[in-house]
Amino acid sequence: MAAFDASTPRLSIAEKLWSLNWGLVALLTIIACYGFAMLYSAANGSLEPWAARQMVRYAVALVLMLGVAIVDIRFWLRSAYIIYSIAFVLLIAVEVRGAIGMGAQRWIDLGVIQLQPSELMKVTLILALARYFHGLTIEEIARPHRLIIPAILIVAPAVLVLKQPDLGTAMKLVLSGGAMFFLAGVRIWQFGAVIAAAGAALPLIWHHMRDYQKNRIYTFLNPESDPLGTGYHILQSKIALGSGGVFGKGFLLGTQSHLNFLPEKQTDFIFTMLAEELGLVGGLSLLALYTLVFIYGFAIALRSRNHFGRILGLGLTINFFLYVFINTAMVMGLIPVVGVPLPLISYGGTAMLTVMFGFGLLMSVYIHRDVRVGRFGENLS
Amino acid sequence: MKAPHRYDDNPCKPRHFKPPPCAPVALDEAAQQTLDIGRTRLLVTAGLFVVAFAVIALRLVDVTLVKPAGEARIAHTTAGKAAVSRADIVDRNGVLLATTLSSPSLFANPKQILDAREATQKLVEVLPDLSQSEVYAKLTSDRSFVWLKRLLTPRQEFEVNQLGIPGFQFQREERRVYPEGNLIAHVVGYTGLDNKGLAGIERGFDDILKERKQPLQLSIDIRLQEILHDELSRAVQDFSAKGGVGLVMDVHTGEVLALVSLPDFDPNKPGTATPDTIFNRATLGTYEMGSTFKIFTTAMALDSHTATLASSYDASHPIHIGRFTIHDYHDLHRALSVPEIFEYSSNIGAARMAMDAGTDRLKDFLGRLGLLKPPVFEIPEIGAPLVPSPWHDVNTMTVAFGHGISVSPLQLAIAASAVVNGGILHPATIIKPPPGFIPAGQQVMSTRTSDDMRRLMRLVVEQGTGEFAAAPGYVVGGKTGTAEKVSGHSYAHKALLSSFLGAFPINDPRYLVLAIVDEPHGTPKTHGFATGGWTAAPVVGHAIQRMAPLLGIPPVDENAPEIRSALAIDGVQVKKLASN
Repeated sequence: MAAFDASTPRLSIAEKLWSLNWGLVALLTIIACYGFAMLYSAANGSLEPWAARQMVRYAVALVLMLGVAIVDIRFWLRSAYIIYSIAFVLLIAVEVRGAIGMGAQRWIDLGVIQLQPSELMKVTLILALARYFHGLTIEEIARPHRLIIPAILIVAPAVLVLKQPDLGTAMKLVLSGGAMFFLAGVRIWQFGAVIAAAGAALPLIWHHMRDYQKNRIYTFLNPESDPLGTGYHILQSKIALGSGGVFGKGFLLGTQSHLNFLPEKQTDFIFTMLAEELGLVGGLSLLALYTLVFIYGFAIALRSRNHFGRILGLGLTINFFLYVFINTAMVMGLIPVVGVPLPLISYGGTAMLTVMFGFGLLMSVYIHRDVRVGRFGENLS
Repeated sequence: MKAPHRYDDNPCKPRHFKPPPCAPVALDEAAQQTLDIGRTRLLVTAGLFVVAFAVIALRLVDVTLVKPAGEARIAHTTAGKAAVSRADIVDRNGVLLATTLSSPSLFANPKQILDAREATQKLVEVLPDLSQSEVYAKLTSDRSFVWLKRLLTPRQEFEVNQLGIPGFQFQREERRVYPEGNLIAHVVGYTGLDNKGLAGIERGFDDILKERKQPLQLSIDIRLQEILHDELSRAVQDFSAKGGVGLVMDVHTGEVLALVSLPDFDPNKPGTATPDTIFNRATLGTYEMGSTFKIFTTAMALDSHTATLASSYDASHPIHIGRFTIHDYHDLHRALSVPEIFEYSSNIGAARMAMDAGTDRLKDFLGRLGLLKPPVFEIPEIGAPLVPSPWHDVNTMTVAFGHGISVSPLQLAIAASAVVNGGILHPATIIKPPPGFIPAGQQVMSTRTSDDMRRLMRLVVEQGTGEFAAAPGYVVGGKTGTAEKVSGHSYAHKALLSSFLGAFPINDPRYLVLAIVDEPHGTPKTHGFATGGWTAAPVVGHAIQRMAPLLGIPPVDENAPEIRSALAIDGVQVKKLASN
């Protein structure tokens, strides 16, 4: 570990690129290739309209990831709140425009790409929380008033996203934020208190909701009551999964997906198509690849010698895990249908960019694992 | 991993944000402590990861393996459903709108095929449209299930059976078929693959259709539907509009004879439909209707005796109220009589008429006509009206000319039917009532009011804004409407909702015809106008001209003295509008 030497923390760009975790890059690329293959198949064996565009997006995202990775970890620490604020402002912008456009509005059109700020929020929230907890000592974490700010950091975007309405993303924000609290060492009784308070507030919130908002919650809890939507998805999804068998029907040969019985096959339900065409073996091998990514994530987080890098790495890994878990559990009917894409595989630009931005941060943690970081991002070496 | 302590740092280096803590070592210790707690937590988190992923993996095994032979499972589900056939849906004359076909599909288990070459040859002889090489490739593949041909005819099934090749099997697939396709999409709706009704009548009558043996007969007349669909589609295309709504209603029974919502979709392929095409604008969409609402304002004023046909209101200046200004499209700068207000569609006049009667009367009247709550109807896609709340006097003024209140086209038709049919409100229905059935009805205004309203509606077509709705011989009466659509918090002047609500023969109305064109754009032919009188009125006029013979209504001489006198407005000066 030559990095211990006082002269090494200032790495050149070439050195940084050299010390990059190329194993993880390869792993991500393999997973993305699964995605390209599935999108190719979803279009009945054609690069258009999905696979080709997804490849371009991955290439762009890969460059972005490498760019993010070689930026000094202290820069990310110092800009954490600024980045969070930008994402938050975008989220409000979408909210305002959505109110004018009268309907669910999650997108901001930047011309070249359409940006979904709620997706962006998932990573920036982790960044901001990591910075906040990095600046606290363990004694400070024990004081309840220290937790007010991070709680607001989580709740404010969650409420905005909930209003869109996108219950899935809101839940994901709260879950990953809660996990960061847990890992940062927040006392267990404080968790209990928060959960109890939230439980007590529920009837009050329910009382103040309008009828149409209540209806949305009902529909979420009981998808069968919305016959145009989600109940149909799950039924078709399970049939398709079941028809795959051990080795699947073969690439490009999934009948359920290709005959258009399976809605959203290129986005949220792409795992179903994969399992139909490549079978149990295909599905399990993809899950194994994801598991490897988690292991990489954990390992990188554990090797970081600064608290910021450690907690950021863990937060990002959990975020990625939640993506995979919620999506796969959803298509297999274990949890209600919420719109969460399968990372690196589902068709979609913002999710790809944010996931890869997250991995960029993770790599930055890896490259700068031996950098010691002060409470406010200054260099201690 | 042990965090190394470094004592060679200068602890009091300058910093960017705050003065330094003078003992960075303590910070490392704190970090160490944090890490120790973190380690347990980390193990717990990682443990949860493992458990959660194990559950996912097990579930994957469960859905793909433990219930094996997926295709067989589908076969079973479909076969089970085949016994429960779904009743047909027909129109009022028995024309088939939706039916269920059960057809055999041929599949093979290649592992059971003894001689693939011979099997291929024999099969292609019977089913010549199959490609020999493809069939051979399928039959020699190492899978245990391959589709050979979907939905065979009974004769083809017989011939394949005659071949007697082991390994060939049939699976019956039941499919809902809609012979009229797009034409009646929003009324019948569609079903999912499992034959569960997902929209329209298919959804509203899902349980009944599953149990029933005889067909379900709708009040729809597919011939009228076709005419209205045709005329409306042409208008939507000519004026590059976003969409349209058309509706024909029997004013004495509330039966809906035609209901069109554009753009539409093919219920045979619901997978290709978009939310925009599936959206039923006629029953689920609610819109600010604009001037067609003056029918209700005027009827209210006449019925509550705050105005007569001879009353007049000052329309010489725009009304300023709060930050709003109400002005007229055809500005005449003088006092207007009630017939003139109606004929020229004066917003100022309508607002003054409503204020004269008062907020309570208007609210009460609209409530009686069922415009303030969702209507009862058999199609489950029903939109709730948006009603001002709280309702101030300024709302009364805008509601008077159809702004600040949104209702569905269906509601508009129900209420307008009551205005022209002698004042009796009938609930709308799309199911054909049995012969001799007397529809429920409620007198909501005096017969006299209804008589007066018919005279006013005739005036609009004879010499007012609705001249293009005229269908010679069928005595059309009606009212135009041109609403500026709300976009954001202000009204968009370019985005219009242009409509015409007509009834015929207006001296003794039998049918109401409504046409709405959503965001039409003027053309050189209409001199750039996109108002209701230019876009929607011709749809109604043309449609009535084509429908009336089918409905058995003989053309009459519109200038015959008895018709003239029935529709004359005595003792009131009514000037013909100069332009338009």
